[in-house]
Amino acid sequence: MPEPPHAYITSTGSYLPGPAIGNDEIEDILGVVASKPSRLKKRILASNGIKTRHYALDRHQRSTHQNKQLAAAAARQCLQRAEIDERAIDLLAVASTQGDLPLPGLASMVQSELAIGPLEILTTHGVCSAGMMALKAACNQVRLSEKKNSLVVASELASRLLKKSRYEAATDLRIDLEAEFLRWMLSDGAGAMLVQNQPRWSGLSYKVEWIEICSFASHYDLCMSCGTADQSLWAANITSAAQTSELSWQDYSTYGRAEAAGALLIRQNLKLLEEVVKVGVDGFLKLINEGKIRPGEIDHFVCHYSSHHFKGRILDLLKLAGALIPEDRWFTNLYTKGNTGCASIFIALDELLHSGKLEPGQVVFCVVPESGRFANAYMKLTVAAGRNVSAI
Amino acid sequence: MLSERELTLGANAQETLRHLLSVWLDFERRLSLIPIIRRLEQKTFTPEDYKTLLLNLRPQVIEGSRWISRAASSFTAEFAEVRSLVLRHAVDEHRDYTMLERDFVSVGGSLEEIQSAQRNIGTEALAGYLMSESSKPNPINLLGAMFIIEGLGNKMASRWAGLIQECLGLDDSATSFLSYHGKNDEAHLEKLYELLDGQTSADKTAPEIIKTAKVVARLYLLQLEELGNV
Repeated sequence: MPEPPHAYITSTGSYLPGPAIGNDEIEDILGVVASKPSRLKKRILASNGIKTRHYALDRHQRSTHQNKQLAAAAARQCLQRAEIDERAIDLLAVASTQGDLPLPGLASMVQSELAIGPLEILTTHGVCSAGMMALKAACNQVRLSEKKNSLVVASELASRLLKKSRYEAATDLRIDLEAEFLRWMLSDGAGAMLVQNQPRWSGLSYKVEWIEICSFASHYDLCMSCGTADQSLWAANITSAAQTSELSWQDYSTYGRAEAAGALLIRQNLKLLEEVVKVGVDGFLKLINEGKIRPGEIDHFVCHYSSHHFKGRILDLLKLAGALIPEDRWFTNLYTKGNTGCASIFIALDELLHSGKLEPGQVVFCVVPESGRFANAYMKLTVAAGRNVSAI
Repeated sequence: MLSERELTLGANAQETLRHLLSVWLDFERRLSLIPIIRRLEQKTFTPEDYKTLLLNLRPQVIEGSRWISRAASSFTAEFAEVRSLVLRHAVDEHRDYTMLERDFVSVGGSLEEIQSAQRNIGTEALAGYLMSESSKPNPINLLGAMFIIEGLGNKMASRWAGLIQECLGLDDSATSFLSYHGKNDEAHLEKLYELLDGQTSADKTAPEIIKTAKVVARLYLLQLEELGNV
């Protein structure tokens, strides 16, 4: 069977709401919980290295945007830069950790916001890897020649979970590190990509060599979640029936009770985070061992993590095994654009494409580790020259 | 941490090490699903669990010192470097079981009980395999076995010792076996990496080293799955 044609990312766009917010302004936007400035904030910010980020909230914690609007704004920028008319879009794939409404899917809402179609839609739901799931599905549709012009959007509006009233409403529990950690990590933004079956006529595209996604949910407990007051109750060896009738936020008699119990707070199990790095490294080694990537060929390494997460033994061993990607190849805009969950890699690839750093033939390797319940996505791209150049 | 002296490996050894790391990470993941390790990680580990663990580890530690001595005698002079490592290793660890016995007694077990502990069926398989491989001429593939077993000491033992102390309210003196390996296996591993450089050729020895690491990892898991099944 002949190899199906490759998919190309021919245009990108992104959108970050409102002004860039510095570290000392975060609580001006999200609010000061119970009028007591956070004690953990400094430590967490020092470890994630983020300097500025954006929120779709005003200083009174009122929403300035819906998630669908962030997504649509990124999509519009992507389409403005595209060499096709928006009427030619035949698939809209939208990823998010949480849409504006529990139902219908976010893709429906983004489609209506963009006023495009009728067309096929896909909503992927997860945490950080949801964007890569949508992108892979879109690429495969293009490779199968089912679709010609797929628009993929990843959008996050996490700040609605992070405003002070959320924490103040959790009256039944003391806010601990697990519940507070992500308040200083996550922020809002969206990124978009257009996937087609050939490179742009003029300007650079990304050729998608492959995308690999692998989940280890049956091997690990919940590491990042929203919707439960106790992540440990979801452990693989606990039969849920034996535990409690209030496992999910939807089990409580009223949503008010769920909020009071802390079931609507977004949580991160910090002890498990180190395992995310290990799982990420494991997947990377497998790709090398299978010959899908060579560490030496990587010109730009775009990782959803910053390099300082790789410390200690694992770093030593990677170095010894010749699998360490030199620091000068890492590209990140985490420090200025913030951690926007599944949108991060889209926003980073958008900035990289327009950075002037890319040359045709270069290899861009992307890693998106997801700590929710351990799913990692990897992608190899090569930079493709415009057809006007390669035609000569 | 590796020592200050920068160790660099050739391309073949790097490739072997990458495969070994993959084997290790898979092993570590499966290890975390073994009920007794899971209880330790979830901090629902009891003094009975600790005693069970020690009772089941002792026969393997005793067998360990036997296979490693056997392996040393199976290397000819051309493998003198490997033989030195294996010999040193055998000397370092052949009385390890005394620490294990002390730990057992310190949590209220009796010496007679631990000294009469039988091999569980996983230990039988592990010891049988290692003894059989050690008896073959120049069993260079055992570098894979050492990678897993020393890796356990280096990467897990300190962590487990800490968790056991925390769960049971013990101090270092009651986890001397695990604490010792946590501190000392790094040096063994570093030497092992150097040997990989000299001994691996992509075509022949590397696949054998990797396969042996996989078998030992699987049998070690079996040993922990079959606690008390003698």
